[in-house]
Amino acid sequence: MAEAKDENTRPFDPFESFRGVRDAYLDAMSKTMIDAVNTESYAQATGAMLDYYLTASAPFRESLEKSVAQALQQLSLPSRQEVAALAERFTNVEMRLDDLDAKLDRLLNAITAMKQADAGQPPKKTRPAAKRG
Amino acid sequence: MQSSMSFTEQSVVFQKRLRSFTRVLSTKAPIAQTPKELVWALNKAKLYRYTPSTSAQRRHRVPLLLVFAIMNRPYILDLRPGHSFVEFMLGHGFDVYLLDWGSPGLEDKGMKLDDYAMVYLPRAIRKMKAVSGSDVFSMLGWCIGAILTTIYAAMRPEDGLRNLILLTAPLDFSNRNNITFARWTDERYMDIEKILDAFGNMPGEMIDYGAKALKPVDNYLTNYCKLWDNLDNPRAVEAWHAMNTWVTDNIPMAGAAYRQLIVELYRNNALIQNKLHVQNELVDLSRIRANLLTVIAEADHITPPCQSEAILTKVSSIDKEVYRIHGGHIGIMAGSSAQRTTWPHIEQWLSARSH
Repeated sequence: MAEAKDENTRPFDPFESFRGVRDAYLDAMSKTMIDAVNTESYAQATGAMLDYYLTASAPFRESLEKSVAQALQQLSLPSRQEVAALAERFTNVEMRLDDLDAKLDRLLNAITAMKQADAGQPPKKTRPAAKRG
Repeated sequence: MQSSMSFTEQSVVFQKRLRSFTRVLSTKAPIAQTPKELVWALNKAKLYRYTPSTSAQRRHRVPLLLVFAIMNRPYILDLRPGHSFVEFMLGHGFDVYLLDWGSPGLEDKGMKLDDYAMVYLPRAIRKMKAVSGSDVFSMLGWCIGAILTTIYAAMRPEDGLRNLILLTAPLDFSNRNNITFARWTDERYMDIEKILDAFGNMPGEMIDYGAKALKPVDNYLTNYCKLWDNLDNPRAVEAWHAMNTWVTDNIPMAGAAYRQLIVELYRNNALIQNKLHVQNELVDLSRIRANLLTVIAEADHITPPCQSEAILTKVSSIDKEVYRIHGGHIGIMAGSSAQRTTWPHIEQWLSARSH
């Protein structure tokens, strides 16, 4: 009874009657496609398509890059390469800061160990505050 | 089916389902909700420490560092409340850290696997040791993250790595007939220099297409049919929404690292043969002595099982185990059965080795 009621109040789904057929079809197609993509001919075809796209788009890409670079230069704005070079330099500065942070941690550990040795306690590793270093 | 609902009522229900379907496809689910704090950052990389959910007395002494792939977001490990590996491990008394590599920009196109494994990872580990106060640690690497952790474990065996967990690790590329990616990236068909000349980094969309094209019908059709069929089940919709949010959040892969992955690993199979050089040093896998657990997904199309098996015969670890589980590359950790199968196994293995 409850099941019958449930059936009658189930939301309308236009795909309901096709579901079984659909699932069987998708299942079969899935297996076929998995086999198809795992072939030399698929690898060759996708490789050729990608190569064609890259070759065909290269002149447009290069001319666009040149125009944008010229426009940025005339407007006295930095180019993408210049911003990237700046970002690289920031990363180098960050590396140096990280080196300093490491040295600071080592110093703190040494000082703590010395204090504990003076107080006759076994050395214990310090636990610096969990903040960005 | 003979429905008692009138046509108007049925239309209303159908419209509601359609709205729900569109909403799920066009919005982002709230993900990565477990509280955490940033403890270290360098360039795009960030190290987070998750707020422990057990008292210090009940917590394992050895911290756990999670290292995910460099071309996907790592929050798959903390997908949503109630279904998060991070939350699970915190609940079992682990001090959990996550290394997020971030999204590389044009300025990072020269970053190699060497940089990830031997510049960024050791620095993050140093900080984790300082914050946790522990000289020993465990590390879990997943997918490309497993390559990086393996390289690190082989290059720095004295650095305190006690336990190494490799999830679906693509380390051995010898069985080319079983690795679809190896076929696609063969030098006869794919001109890697042309791609990187054009884009600098490997675009996230291309990586995403590659992953989805391995099972095109499942990823482009069946997946959406499943959502439609389950629209009346809020839990299923929530799970689908969270997973779709992660799947569609693509990031590029640093150009030099991608070149190295394809040329040195997929084509030359250098890592497993102990022929890979990182920072001018040979990566000798026999130097790995940490306890090793390698998790293999039996139905993995991205990293077929044959890629993760050989590592066990190459390392010097005395304590080593392989755990095989039925499931796919992502499903074994983020699927609905993960918290009954994969997570408890990892937790039990690690708990026994984290005192």
